[in-house]
Amino acid sequence: MKRYLETGNFAITEGAILAGCRFFAGYPITPATEIAEAMSRRLPQVGGIYLQGEDECAALHLCIGASLGGYKAMTATSGPGYILYADPYGWAIGCEIPLVVLNSGRVGPVSGITGAPGQGEFYLTRYPTQGGNFETIVLAPNSAQEAMAITVEAFYLSERFRTPVTILADQLITDGFEDISVPENEEEMKEMGFRTWPRKINRGPHFYPPTDEIDIPPVVLGHNTGALCSDWTPTEEGYDIEEVEAHHKHAYRLIYKIRNHRDLFNHLYEKKFMDDDPDLVVVSYGTPSRVVNTAVAKARQEGLKVGALRLINLWPFPDEHFQRSTKYLALELNWDGQLVREVQRAAGKDSEVHFTGCCGELPTVNDLIEIFEKILKGQPLARKGWQLEEW
Amino acid sequence: MDYLSRKYLRPRKIPSTACSGCGLGINHKAVVQAIYELGLEVEDVVWGTSIGCAGRQTFGTWKGDGFAGTHGRVYAIARGLRLALPPEKKIILTVGDGDAFGIGLLHLIHAARCNADLTVIVNDNLGYMSTGGQYGWTTPIGSRTDSSPYGMFEQNLMSEGMDVLNMLRYAGATFLARHVSMDGYRAVESIKKGIQNRGFSLIHMVYPCPTNFGSRELGTRNPLSIYRWIESKAAPLGEEKEDTVWATGVYYDASNSRPEFSENIRKNIEKIRRSIAA
Repeated sequence: MKRYLETGNFAITEGAILAGCRFFAGYPITPATEIAEAMSRRLPQVGGIYLQGEDECAALHLCIGASLGGYKAMTATSGPGYILYADPYGWAIGCEIPLVVLNSGRVGPVSGITGAPGQGEFYLTRYPTQGGNFETIVLAPNSAQEAMAITVEAFYLSERFRTPVTILADQLITDGFEDISVPENEEEMKEMGFRTWPRKINRGPHFYPPTDEIDIPPVVLGHNTGALCSDWTPTEEGYDIEEVEAHHKHAYRLIYKIRNHRDLFNHLYEKKFMDDDPDLVVVSYGTPSRVVNTAVAKARQEGLKVGALRLINLWPFPDEHFQRSTKYLALELNWDGQLVREVQRAAGKDSEVHFTGCCGELPTVNDLIEIFEKILKGQPLARKGWQLEEW
Repeated sequence: MDYLSRKYLRPRKIPSTACSGCGLGINHKAVVQAIYELGLEVEDVVWGTSIGCAGRQTFGTWKGDGFAGTHGRVYAIARGLRLALPPEKKIILTVGDGDAFGIGLLHLIHAARCNADLTVIVNDNLGYMSTGGQYGWTTPIGSRTDSSPYGMFEQNLMSEGMDVLNMLRYAGATFLARHVSMDGYRAVESIKKGIQNRGFSLIHMVYPCPTNFGSRELGTRNPLSIYRWIESKAAPLGEEKEDTVWATGVYYDASNSRPEFSENIRKNIEKIRRSIAA
């Protein structure tokens, strides 16, 4: 084990290399540029390839091509680049190509504030492309060390589910310096709970079977398997077809291979002070969860019965955490309220769901405790109009 | 095409579902003929296609491995794939004019810039014909289409001094040719040269679309009319007449003169690794 004082970008790069990533195509964008830079330095050292795309759309297509040729591939960007993935992301979902995509959230819409953390792509990562008829896997770390672990895990899941996996981070995770331990061999990787999955090759002839099973090897071109992949509805052999029944089978696999195997990743969450049925559950993901954890611990000392639920697996949304009727508070780095909508849907009508958003900066512990108190006393959250709006 | 078909193409997809009278099959055959004459086998080629008539009708026809990219992006996918495949594997792309010269032009130029070993056959039916017939970036000036009912009057990539092949040449392409379907053996020879170039090759091949282009511009779906119309506007390079739109032949041949994309990257990675080890 080697210890570093380094950024999340460094941790993500090392995680990818540990997972077997040997291809990265990126496009400079704050605050994910340093991942591209680190990859350009590190990948050649391990025999891998770094490429700069002409834009993000090209970058993800380059990754698709490399993955189709057998590489484990990754790209990284921020919100304005993530929207340019819409085209290749859909193709990768449809052709079931293992890929890892990192989105380091900044403040939007559009270019917004480039060097500050935001969480505006909660829904965009669920629907990164058009057309529907698919399920996506999205994971959200809250520290540099965890970002490394989640990167390794994302590669593992992308191979087993043969689908792109998005890591939804934010500017503080990717840019922030933290204490990072990097395993140096397989033994140490195992100790840290890292799991990997090798690239396998689908030998056909049924490249797209109508099943919800996982562990079907992806299409890899160049081995003369007769593999076909395209943007059209595929038959089981990969021929393009315009038939609803064939498309239903295709969509069934894209949706249920993930929904029916959530046990592979639905352990990815963190609960604090949740054993005594708290009167208020604070729900968050990413960097804000670190403030929430501190605030909840302090609130407990002050006698407030508050618990913290941190989601790491964001999509498919883990409804099971919201079965108990209680008060929920969604804390997000946006002002429009995205996570809160899912919480409200999952929690059901007997629960009370509140929202607090901030953006570009983190809330303070004292702010949060004040909010907890108000919610627990049943007082309205609104203070000065837009500053703390009740959702 | 029978002996070529049996050797290289899939019975499920041949004959294709192209409209009757469509000239795409002639271009398709020229490509397969070139592959045959070079002595390549099914496993030597990975075949990529795009969106539109040319992409859809050629997708899945090759007996070996094949893919179809999203609209205009196949050049970026193919570059990624180029890095993953061994250098002796050929990547041949059959795409349309809208795909290559419209939505995909940025990616096409970058594929030329880095001299990626790809052979791109741009099958040009003079516009967006699979969507019913709208003008494209090589539609001859004055032509009527569904979106240029008064005649195409925009400057395009075939306008005087703006030839898309010049653009690609100065972007770094190392083999460029232009043909029409009726060129027969001359087109096969150019495609062969393109495939043999270890670098970026593009062969622009105009083909007749009786159903949409012919019916709007010439007022008839009679295949002979559009075949004759194209033929009358084509002439070999150096033998152009005043009304020649498509001068045919090899425009630029700098085959194997510049480092190839994947070779260059591999060589540099090796150099970096050696310098670190030292």
